[in-house]
Amino acid sequence: MNTASDSLAQLLQSAAAMQESGRAVLKTMLGMGEIEVGTSEKRCVYSEDKIRLYRYAPLARSAGLKPLLICYAMVNRPYLLDLQPDRSFIRELLHAGLDVYLLDWGYPDGADRFLGFDEYVDGYLRRCVEFVLKEHAIDSLTLLGVCQGGTMSLCYAALHPTQIARLITMVTPVDFKTPENLLSKWAQHIDVGLLTQSGNVSGDFLNLIYLSLMPFRLTQQKYVNLLQMQGDRVQLENFMRMEKWIFDSPDQPATAFREFIQWFFQENRLIRDELTLAGKPLRLKNVTAPVLNIFASKDHLVPPSASIPLGAHIGSKDYEALEIDAGHIGLYVGGKTRKTVPAAVMAWLKKRS
Amino acid sequence: MSAPIGAHPFSAAFLKAWVDQAGAFQELLARLADQSSAGLHPSMPPPHLAPWKDFVDGLGMGSFNPSEMFPGAPALGLSREYQETARRLVELSRQFQQRYTEFAQQNATVMQDAFHVMQKRVDLPPKSPAELYDAWIDCAEDAYHQAAHSDSFARLLADLCNISSAMKVERGKLTEQLARHLDLPSRAEVDSLHRQVRALTAAARKPRKRAQK
Repeated sequence: MNTASDSLAQLLQSAAAMQESGRAVLKTMLGMGEIEVGTSEKRCVYSEDKIRLYRYAPLARSAGLKPLLICYAMVNRPYLLDLQPDRSFIRELLHAGLDVYLLDWGYPDGADRFLGFDEYVDGYLRRCVEFVLKEHAIDSLTLLGVCQGGTMSLCYAALHPTQIARLITMVTPVDFKTPENLLSKWAQHIDVGLLTQSGNVSGDFLNLIYLSLMPFRLTQQKYVNLLQMQGDRVQLENFMRMEKWIFDSPDQPATAFREFIQWFFQENRLIRDELTLAGKPLRLKNVTAPVLNIFASKDHLVPPSASIPLGAHIGSKDYEALEIDAGHIGLYVGGKTRKTVPAAVMAWLKKRS
Repeated sequence: MSAPIGAHPFSAAFLKAWVDQAGAFQELLARLADQSSAGLHPSMPPPHLAPWKDFVDGLGMGSFNPSEMFPGAPALGLSREYQETARRLVELSRQFQQRYTEFAQQNATVMQDAFHVMQKRVDLPPKSPAELYDAWIDCAEDAYHQAAHSDSFARLLADLCNISSAMKVERGKLTEQLARHLDLPSRAEVDSLHRQVRALTAAARKPRKRAQK
């Protein structure tokens, strides 16, 4: 029979084991050195101000598909898609014979504070698309947008439909005002004009907001769980790569950020067909290319309800939604999804080649 | 003519205020933690703004400050603009303190709710400290999730953000003044240059685009 003293002894034993594990974790971490990220070979083929357009070196025979341009979000760094050799969404696409380009927005600074959202979409992104089209002497390419980059890609596809042969959106918010969207609820009462009046919005501020979405898990439990790794070097290196990515957050250019929050989060203009970009009315009905919309069922940043409505608002007759059992980040680096998601993208593209 | 950095009495006072502010924030946090001292005396500036009061007083107009002698009266005299900025900073700080106290209370309620749920959930003694801890995190996140989705939470968070933004704008005004006094490039000057560069870049791009066509 279990007595109180047995339970206490058991607890003390566990506590001692945890202490031992903590020591092993610390010892391994102290000897780890620099963490490498984004290891796939690539070269910069176009640059302008802070932005860089990279082309990845092929890893397999060409699959004969149109080149793919990845438009990542501005709020985080794009190397999440190529975190490490065995956790790389991009590497999987390269192994499948795809020609991959990546638009890196860089780290905006004070010189970029007056750049509007339209200058990012109809300026930098447009010039990158035009560069790829010219390089391959083609009329259209495949555009893949991630998170906020997905929203930007949607805007682009609506403004320049003839340049987009296929559109893939991943964890992309379309309806910014669904009940599950906590970020959106918090954004409604923020005076974003005042917030950006004294310059760019710091990456630290955004991280604070993200951490506040699940503060106990993201600021406490995550680090306590390190103890379970028992000093396993590989696991700890994986953890540190992710930790680096999470807190490597660029500042947001004031004007573009203000417009993004106001037009999309607060006024939900995209889905209401009330958005004007670069002086042109932007209508989702103009998106006529085949669309693959990938969303994550456990996404706490972009809940599925924010992505799912896309199909009902675009003009495309070829629309496919793909729900993945993962979180916002796990979609790219999770145990199974890091293989299954790129495979699904390739299968979808091949079917339409 | 501007005096060298450090020799100018204005810059010395400003820099002292800037440095002192960092230390004073710790005191503010300590006060916030102690709910009993949440309500400061209205005439007493919050600790992190006291250095700015010294700075404004140091301009020579501290003893002649009608708005201090007659609350609500407009600021007058040579240091009028600084008095206004300092007054706005004090007021914003008071608002921030008030809203932060409410925020701290809301968080305390979340923790209480989490404990209540935890008490119901854990009937048996936990098998390990890890199990106990994970159960606590689940309860805490559930309770927080409920609160965080409420309109009152969103408004409180937005208020804190908006007040902080307003304080940053006011602090920027003081920094701008200092830069002018020291003949340093100010934010306004740099902004103006950025706008000019943007306009020139856009103008240069137009003929390039026409030539491509």
